[in-house]
Amino acid sequence: MTAEPALRILVVEDEVLIALELTYLLEDLGHVMVGVAASSSEAIALGASTAPDVALVDIHLVDGPTGVEVARVLSADPRTTVLFMTANSKRIPEDFAGALGVIAKPYSERVVASALTYVAERRAGRAPATDTPDGFQLAPLN
Amino acid sequence: MTDDDRRALREAGLGEDMFASAFGASPTPMVVTDARGSDNPIVWVNDAFVALTGYTRAELYGRNCRMLQGQGTDPGEIRRMRDAVATSKKIACELFNYRKDGSAFWNAMTICPVRDEGGAVAWFFAAQADMTDKRRSEQAMRGTNDELERLVDARTADLQAALEQKTALLHEVDHRVKNNLQVISSLMLLKARRTPEGEARDALQSMAERVGALSTAHRMLYSAGDVTRFDLREFAADFLADLTAGIDPDRTTVEAEVDSIAVSAAMAAPLALMMHELATNAVRHAFPNGRSGRVSITARRDDGGLRLLIQDDGVGIAAGPVNPAGFGHSLVEMVVRQLRGTIAWNEAMPGTRVEITIPLDRAN
Repeated sequence: MTAEPALRILVVEDEVLIALELTYLLEDLGHVMVGVAASSSEAIALGASTAPDVALVDIHLVDGPTGVEVARVLSADPRTTVLFMTANSKRIPEDFAGALGVIAKPYSERVVASALTYVAERRAGRAPATDTPDGFQLAPLN
Repeated sequence: MTDDDRRALREAGLGEDMFASAFGASPTPMVVTDARGSDNPIVWVNDAFVALTGYTRAELYGRNCRMLQGQGTDPGEIRRMRDAVATSKKIACELFNYRKDGSAFWNAMTICPVRDEGGAVAWFFAAQADMTDKRRSEQAMRGTNDELERLVDARTADLQAALEQKTALLHEVDHRVKNNLQVISSLMLLKARRTPEGEARDALQSMAERVGALSTAHRMLYSAGDVTRFDLREFAADFLADLTAGIDPDRTTVEAEVDSIAVSAAMAAPLALMMHELATNAVRHAFPNGRSGRVSITARRDDGGLRLLIQDDGVGIAAGPVNPAGFGHSLVEMVVRQLRGTIAWNEAMPGTRVEITIPLDRAN
């Protein structure tokens, strides 16, 4: 199962096991990992040095609920699309801190795959072919 | 006194001096003033009035009733009374008055002008009542009400705070459970990736899928805002999308007809596990060797409770690779027993037909 086109992805997740399995899953789906960050400062530094296509951002990081701030900084770069990936969507502010949407934890492979297909279509300037799957919710105004 | 009044008195055998005796002995304090005298002087009081005010008759006669007023008397109420007297009208009023010893009392009175035979106002007659006790109990009642209201407000604020704390705790626990489910699933998938192809790897992957089904149920339970209800249709839609994502749609079709059935949260996990097991089993094992086919899942509720039917047109139970004593099979049996339901596995010729009935509470 490969996605067209491949996306360069930054994973911001403090839970090592989740981050590692997610890395394998994303590679299985044909995407390219640019890095894994566990804290907000790491995430912001990696974002600046790699300018990823997509950043998957958890809300709770090693240094606290700093994922919202990370999303705000990373989404300020027009090259990067931010998706929250969290079990704590109640913490997401109304403006989604610049993120395109949220993948709810616990997620399934299908939801991650189709969310990324959706993002790839949007980035390619095409109207996404399918509705968003149940575990993937777009920010308002999208 | 009108002529009619005098006639009525005569007929009753009463003289006019009856009034002097009656008023004099009345327990209601009474006073008469001379409307024609200078400054409306008191000309008569009864014993009850003397007792109420503490003044002797000698001290009262010849003086105006304002001698009872003082600092605490409401000027507005005095003006109202004065206007009524000036225009010879009846009035009921309540004044804060003072006794001879300086102690104060609430004096409720009715004042009415009394006319002479020619019809001119000759006197004013006032009957009074000491309202101090009534006022005091009203005051006390108001105080009690205020105190009660304050207590209720305080109690309400406490409850509100407790509720907010409980909600925050629920969110926190919910977040942790979801995160842990993700960790458990990741853990199994990671181990599966490092396990050579074969039985052990398949077992790990199916375990991760079971955890996935439980995760889906859990996600729905809390996202709907109602933590006590679980909608089977929503779950089925999401879970079937996950199931069919991994199969070839040209070879195997999955049809589902699941009514919107709300069940209690306690049933969510076992129902999710059961549906996952049966549907996955059908999709994986009914169509070996490139055989194509159809799996249908229906769920509806009737008087008997929840009725689930999972049917495929595959190879059937006897020909299938699934051992009736195998894990998936006994998992379903156990869950059905837990839900106090019944299950029947039948050869459908072709295929397998599994019928399950689960009793639902009245509340469901």
